[in-house]
Order: sequence, then C-alpha cells, then structure tokens
Amino acid sequence: MLTCLRGGHVVDPANGVDGVRDVYFEDGRVVAATAGRKPDAEYNAAGHIVMAGAIDIHSHIAGGGVNTARLLLPETHRGHRPRPSGAPLSTAGWSTFETGRLYAQMGYTTVIEPAISAHHALHAHLELADIPIIDKGFLTVLGNDDFLLQALRRRESPAAVADYVAATLEATRALGVKCVNAGGAEAFKENVRSFALDDVVPQYGLSSRQIFQTLQQAVVATKIRHPLHLHMNNLGLPGNVETALATIDASQGLPLHLAHVQFYSYGKEGKNGFSSAAAQFAEKIAANKNVTVDVGQVMFADIVTISSDVLRQYNSLGAARPKKGVIFDGDHNGAGVLPYSYRVSDFFNAVQWAAGLELFLLIDDPTRVFFTTDHPNGAPFTTYPEVFALLMSADMRAQWLSRLPAEVLELTNLPSIKREYTFYEIATMTRAAPAHLYGFEDRGQLGPGAVADVAVYKLQSNRAGMFRNAAYVFKDGELVVRDGVVERYSFGKTLRVRPEYDRAIDQRLDAYYDDLYGLPRSLFEVSDAALPRSYAFAEVACRS
Amino acid sequence: MTDASLDGRSIPREDAYAHAARILGAAHFPLVAGLGADVAGARAAILLAERLRGAFDHLASRDALADLDVLRSSSMFVTTPNEARLRSDFILLVGAGLSSYWPAMFDRLALHEPPRFGAQSRRRALWIGPKRGEAHIDGVDIDTIAAASHELPGVLAALRARVGGRPVALGDAATKKLDAHASAMKAAQFGVAVWAAENLDALTIEMLCGLVADLNAATRFTGVPIGARSGATGVVQASGWMTGFPPRTGFGRGYPEHDTWRFDARRLVDSNEADAALWISAYDGEPPPWRRADLPLVTLAAAGAKADGRGVFITVGCPGRDHDAVDFAQETSSLVLRKASAPSKLPSVADAIGAIGARFSEDVPC
Repeated sequence: MLTCLRGGHVVDPANGVDGVRDVYFEDGRVVAATAGRKPDAEYNAAGHIVMAGAIDIHSHIAGGGVNTARLLLPETHRGHRPRPSGAPLSTAGWSTFETGRLYAQMGYTTVIEPAISAHHALHAHLELADIPIIDKGFLTVLGNDDFLLQALRRRESPAAVADYVAATLEATRALGVKCVNAGGAEAFKENVRSFALDDVVPQYGLSSRQIFQTLQQAVVATKIRHPLHLHMNNLGLPGNVETALATIDASQGLPLHLAHVQFYSYGKEGKNGFSSAAAQFAEKIAANKNVTVDVGQVMFADIVTISSDVLRQYNSLGAARPKKGVIFDGDHNGAGVLPYSYRVSDFFNAVQWAAGLELFLLIDDPTRVFFTTDHPNGAPFTTYPEVFALLMSADMRAQWLSRLPAEVLELTNLPSIKREYTFYEIATMTRAAPAHLYGFEDRGQLGPGAVADVAVYKLQSNRAGMFRNAAYVFKDGELVVRDGVVERYSFGKTLRVRPEYDRAIDQRLDAYYDDLYGLPRSLFEVSDAALPRSYAFAEVACRS
Repeated sequence: MTDASLDGRSIPREDAYAHAARILGAAHFPLVAGLGADVAGARAAILLAERLRGAFDHLASRDALADLDVLRSSSMFVTTPNEARLRSDFILLVGAGLSSYWPAMFDRLALHEPPRFGAQSRRRALWIGPKRGEAHIDGVDIDTIAAASHELPGVLAALRARVGGRPVALGDAATKKLDAHASAMKAAQFGVAVWAAENLDALTIEMLCGLVADLNAATRFTGVPIGARSGATGVVQASGWMTGFPPRTGFGRGYPEHDTWRFDARRLVDSNEADAALWISAYDGEPPPWRRADLPLVTLAAAGAKADGRGVFITVGCPGRDHDAVDFAQETSSLVLRKASAPSKLPSVADAIGAIGARFSEDVPC
C-alpha cells in the first residue's frame, strides 16, 4: 500500500531537507516519489511539520528498578479513565502499556532504556515486550562486575576484555554498554561512602578512571556503534563540574557518551555553595568532538530517581520526598530507587533547571547534545513538550525565570541567553543525531529506504501542545496515532547488537559461574524460550 | 481419562473451555484468584481480568503485601542470595522455619564456606526465634535469641534500640546480652538479614528493615526476603509492570485500582461481590480460601489437585515441570527460565486462558 503525506513542511536534517514536499512510504519503508502511481492512501499535511519518528536515547522505561519504583509509589500513578477499546491497560498509570501509548502520541517511535543489570536482562525484555507501538532496546550495565575487575587486575589483554563485553551483550541481547559510577557499587559494598574518578575500588586496586577507560576501549574493539555510555562519579554534588571536566580529559580521544550531564554541571559559588557551571562545561564539550552528551533536564514535578549509582542513592536517602526508598546491592551491581520532588521555590532545584537549559542552549552543535530528562530522574518524559517549548522560546524562559528564587538568577547565565531552537535543530537533536549515536542507518530520517516511522505535528504557536499530541504518527508505515489518540495497538521490535567475538570466553564464563555462584551461567542468559512468541528483535549492524 | 471435568463429570477439554468462557463471560464482576502461575500465566490472567472488568488476587497476597507494605511506607535494603553467599560475614535469621519457606536456603547461602569477597573471615550468624533444634548449621557459629513469633517485634525493637545506643526497659543481664549481639552486628562488614513474610507481619518486617537501615549508618547491612509461595514474587512483578500495582487490584471502572481490602479474593467471594471466579493454582493445586459454595467456578490447577466436584475443572501443567516457564527464582532474586523437567502435553495456564478467551461470546469486549 502506497501512502502519501501531501504538502507538509518536511524537517529531515539527516538528508538536509527543510521545506514543503511530499513523503511517500510503502510496505513499512519510505520510498522515493513514484511518478504516475496514485497513492492508495493520502493525508493532507499542509500546515503541518513532518519529521521522522523521534528517538529517545536515554529513558528508564523498563526493568527491575523501574518496576520497584512502581511498587514503591502506588500513590503517584493511579489511573483515572477507562482504556479505549482494543488497547488493554493503555490508561493504567505508569504501566508498560501506558508508556508505549504516551510516547507514541508525542511522535516518539524508538526509546532506549539505558541501565539494565546483566542478571536482570530477561526481566527487562519481558517488560519491553509489553510496551506497545514503539521500538525499544536497552544498554547493559558493566563496570562493577567482578569478572571484569579481576581481568583488569590481572592485566588481561584488551581482546579478552572486548570478548567479555561482546559475550555479555550477546547473553543479554542488548544494544550497548553503560557504565555507572565505575567501581562505585562495588566500593559501596565495602562500605566506601564517596567515590571519585581516581578513587580505588578496595580489593581490586583499580580506579574508576581505569575501569571506564578500559570499557571505552573494549566497546570500540567490539565494533558496536554506540560508544560507552557513562554515568560519571559524583552525580549531583556541588562543584562536580570538575569531575566532568576531568572525565572528558580522561576520554582518550575515543568516543564517549556522557549521560544526563545537567547533574554534573554544578559549581560551588554563592552563599549556598551551589551554582550553575554549565557555561564552563559547555565550552569543554564543544572543544572535545569525541564526546556526546544528553542533558537530563530537570522540570518542576514529583518524580522518582531510579539509578544504578547505589552509593549516590544511599547518600540521598535522607533527602527523599516522601521519605522512603529501596537500596539494592545486586550481583556485581547496585541500584537505588528514591522518590523526589523538584520545586520551583527550591533554590537547588531551580539552579538545576536553569543549568540544564543552559547546556542545551550553550552547546551550539545539536548533533552532540541530546534531548533527555533522564526520565523519570529529572522529569517524566511527559514533560518533553514543555521542554521543547522552552528551548524554542526565550520569552517563555523569561516567564519561567520570573518564578524562580531571585538569588538563582545571579548563579546562572540563562537570563542572558536569547538562542531559540529551530524545528531543524529539534529534529537534529531528537531524530538525526540519535540515529547516528546508536548506528541506526534507517531510522531518524525520511530518505528512501528508511523505516516509515513518521511524526506529523500541526503547526501552532503553542509548541508544547503541538508536540504533545501529534496529528499523525505512522509506525512502520501504519497509522498508529491520529490527533493525539492511539488508533492502532501494534507491538514494535527490540533492537540489539550481535558483535563477533572469540567464543572461548563463553567457556571461561561458564566455568566462572560454576565456581563462583555454583549456578549455571545459562540461568542468567536470555533465550527465545523465555520470551513471548510474538517478541521480535531487529539487529543493529556493527561497524565493518 | 480426561483432564477436565464439569461438576465432577469428565468432559473433553474443549468443552471445558467453552463452559468456562460462558461462566466468566456472563459474570458482572468476575474474580481471577489464586494466580499460582508463571509469568506468562499471570500475564494472561491479568489481561483476562482487565478484559472482563473483574479483579485479581494471588493466593499468597497476604505475605507478598507484608513485604510490600514496608517497602511502600518506609525503606528497604535488599540484596541477592548470590551476594549473601559470596560476601556476607554475618547472617541475621529472623523467625521460625525459614528453610521450610526456602528449602534450598542453607545450601545456596553456603554459610559454612568463608565469604569470597569482602571480609573473607569465618561467618557468624544470629537466629532470632528459631524452632527448637532448628538453629544448627554445620560449620557455622550460630547464636540464638529465643522468641515466640509474637515476641519478635519486641526483640527486634530492643536490638534496634541498642544498636542505636538507646535505652531499653530490660534487666542488666538481658541488656548485656542484647548489647553483645548489637556489637556483633555493628562489627560485621557486610551483614545480611533473612526473613520470610509468610510467618511475620508487616510491623515486624518494618522493625527488622529499620534495624538494617540503622546499621548502615556505620557499616553495610542488607536483606534477603524469602518470597511468598506459588510464584507470588514473579506475579507481583508482572502485575507491577502491567497495571502499576501488585495483586488485589480491580478493573471495575475500566482502569486498575489497587485496594488490599476491597480486592481480597476471599472477601470478594464471601461478600457476594464477585459473581464468578477463575481459580488458578498450577504449582500444587492449593484450594480456594473462601467459604461460599455456590459461586460459579472455573479451576485451573495442577494434576492431583483436590477438586471439590463443582464447576469447571481443567488440569494444567506445573510451570517448570510440564512446560518451560519464566518464574521468579529465589536463588537469584530474578526472573529466570525454568526448562521443563518432565515435559507433558498439559496446557499451561496461559494456554488455558487463551483457549477460554477465544470462546467468549461477542458481547465481551477485546
């Protein structure tokens, strides 16, 4: 079936397109204009912005941590309206089903969960299987695992470490590797309460710097497309911009993605010893082209922090709002889940909000700064439309700034920044650049051959309203959303990589599990028999 | 011999599915209960409850909710049995009969071996309120504090007070003994508390978790809860991602509402609020807890379950024995695949619910 979107303003930065034209797709793929063939279906897109489906590069949508948060906070996510026919559980607050529906309504068609512990990979896949409409995938967390740390301590070859990383990606069916406060979860088990870049993990004699650098090299060696996705040390602490700058200095010129950098853009100025250092950070990022970042914007909302940085989460336990939480010491890993509430009247929260926007606005290359709220840590993904609106309007930012505590204005550059994002820059940041970051050749763009994931927004001055309810969303060429309402409840694919590696590492790992745990390693692997029959994977090719 | 029956008479399984669809499809407020199932079975059952605008509960909700009540009202430190096995230098066991709730417990925790990580010293153990003669583990130094189950909150509270250096209203000798235990716990480098909610109430668990949290002020201490029976922990997980809530959740208004009193299966039946039930007990055929005898009933249960001869009864496979199944594994604290140990042709819970769901009349929405 040939479908045509007629006369929309197409914004497709991957192909350098920014103007009115028609978009055709057939059998789930974008096709070139076909002269002489009449489309089987035609949609009038005049007065609309047409973009590829958006890609969220970092959003906690599935897995044991997210599910713990649901069970921890039953009071925060009560549903209030019956679900429409044919869309089971799609109005169940914070359910996987609602997650897929809400993302699709905003024109998002691919979302990556960034932090799954290797031993909980099956759980994560089972949750992903129940997220409708969108495609998804996850990153496996490494960097606190005994097998890796032992290998580093023994100075094993880079090839052996790369084989281990690849074998773990294969066993967990993941899309990439994340490293969270490298060594910090292991150190916390040894009662270490703060852990910086050059602190050393007890028993192993390895610094956080060494661990993340080794993983960075190993990820390059596996030839997977996504660089190491790093959650740095000292998240949230005053003056931690120094950690971020030092981490960039330690990045060896190799590709590195720094996650939710807003939480690392703090100085120590002012009477509270807490200020925005976003300008300094943005300058550093601009000068280091091997580094990409996502922002992790804070918005004023009740949220829950879900983090594998268990040491950091433990230190925040007393500040939880409301005061409860879960601290988990996992198998070579950890996690903490704590509710929190960002308040516009709270000095610290207001600085965080401003620092995030500063980063967005001061890093002038939208191919290297990614749009996230670290959902749900900085804000729920449902606030994205407001964040887009703030980026696109200096006036709107000025209105918001007027509500902030006065002293905050002196500790951020935000009031003086007049830049306004264009649709082209928004599309770069949420479509073209994420596809590049993950190596998705056929996503995030509307060139012939691309997956026909398309978002169509009715142009209006209320940017938040525009982005909240897409006029049309097509997934694999099928209409799934019309006027912000889900019309078709399909299930997408899960994206994974399958790097080549020396299978000898599998035997070593089997023996390691037998010896250490007295359990077969296969117990922790994801196999087809464990997944619903309808669950489909799509492979993202490695570099050749 | 067929593996399905109607009011005690054997009938073909296909007929049983059709009868079941009629019973559940005709109900105004059907209950999906028992829910002793693997993740796929739980998933099918919850979707069925949602489709029929009924409610669902698990046969061990009381126990699972005792832990969850503590989680959602205060805080909890937890770890995996693997970490307890490899790292703990102190084990705090709370309550009687722990190994009856987790038969492989001592084998898995391997307390007689020195820890592989951390302190790597000989382990110590304290068991509060063991059964007589129970507190013996070969190769482990184990202290005990005798306590009947109703005395556990008091003992834990006193211990917690002494860990925090607060006074207790006990005699000198008793206080001194508690202080010795408190000191031992504080001296641990990675202590692990083990408990089973099945024989504790929420307040006891809350006191225990408070004690564990307090110990973290100066050292590391965490916990391993022993999950409730009949797949409860896996069902809670699936229920969590599907509805946002654990079992005891209803869909009468078309969206999930969680209420631990209102959607208690026994109460729903005995109060006549539920007008039909699907009872699922695929692991061991545990019978329903309610008294009411005239409820239109469909039972999906393991072979050998004692059917009381009423309603539709369909034998289903035991997860992990008759068919591959994803379950929450106590030994790993995670969802794992259990390969069938004795594969059979019996339908799984998910198969049976799928077959029933395919036979609803057209008035039942999808």
